[in-house]
Amino acid sequence: MSVEQASLRCESCEELTVHELHYAGRLLDAVRCTRCGRHLELSQRALLPAYVVDLEQRVVSKPGRMLRRAGADPLGFLRQLPRAVLRQPVKFLGEFRELLRR
Amino acid sequence: MSAPRAAVVMLAAGEGRRSGYQTNKVLLPLAGRRVFTWAVRWARELASVERTVIVIREADRDDVVAAVGREVGPPEVTIVTGGDSRHASEWEALQALAPDIEAGRVDVVVIHDAARPLAGTALFASVVDAAWEHGGALPVREQAHLTALDSGSEPPDRVVAVQTPQAFRAAPLLEAYRRAHRDGFVGTDTASCMERYTDLPVHCVEGDARNVKITFPEDLFLAERLLAKAGYDLSGTHGPDPAAAPASRRSALRHLWPGGDHP
Repeated sequence: MSVEQASLRCESCEELTVHELHYAGRLLDAVRCTRCGRHLELSQRALLPAYVVDLEQRVVSKPGRMLRRAGADPLGFLRQLPRAVLRQPVKFLGEFRELLRR
Repeated sequence: MSAPRAAVVMLAAGEGRRSGYQTNKVLLPLAGRRVFTWAVRWARELASVERTVIVIREADRDDVVAAVGREVGPPEVTIVTGGDSRHASEWEALQALAPDIEAGRVDVVVIHDAARPLAGTALFASVVDAAWEHGGALPVREQAHLTALDSGSEPPDRVVAVQTPQAFRAAPLLEAYRRAHRDGFVGTDTASCMERYTDLPVHCVEGDARNVKITFPEDLFLAERLLAKAGYDLSGTHGPDPAAAPASRRSALRHLWPGGDHP
């Protein structure tokens, strides 16, 4: 799970405040205002189908993304490819574990 | 009238206070890309878009360059540092475009807020065409059911919310900003500067209800769901079914629970 911080407008504080954003894979899973603690998250019922749709899009768009990276920097792409391939199972296992833990 | 050649200016410098560890909202992840590269993608699906300028905050340069390298294909994007205001950022972008505008290589300039990732290709096409025909173009959405609070006067019968992308004929726009710079005038938006320094009519085109501006945290959830609902593809040159978007908004937020307090 990755975490980002950004200034967004909080409905409770009625001004720009720092929010902590939690992602499950590529999906935004939860957001919390660091000032008032207002917390929003996707329900488990919505998160799993959304994750499946997103996963499908990731798989479908992967060849195109790989081709673009290979075209932009062929040597760098080849150098990083073995590590990137080996990292995928670990990455997905981590994502599945996070989804099921909620 | 031949097809215009357009340049797109993406305003990505952001707003508000931000300390070093916070991410500019236009650089947040959204369905596998950064927020700002979605709109760049839809704009560049238009054959008439020949140049792209992204206006950034200097502190974001490395992140923007990395995201552009990863997520935006050729042709090359010009990155310029913005000013203290929206007007100043637009002026910086126009100066970067000035040689092409003066040489007649850019006919229309499209200004877009990079925090609106769901502005589709059809919307870019409609503002470019309308600006070329009339002089300027703004996408608007009718705001119904407004009422006055306290003792305020009632709003007019017809009220609209203005969106971006907004497009203008390039040469008058550059001239307007040059004159504004000489006068020290700072407009609240592009149209206000055009209205002050030119007599070109600004034409309203139908906006898109999906074209949300990332402002509240809910907007990020909404944008993610609307993208998924559109099959991650807003490159169609026809606009959406106007009735579909409000329903999408309702269904997209149906599963969002404050405080994690859901059944």
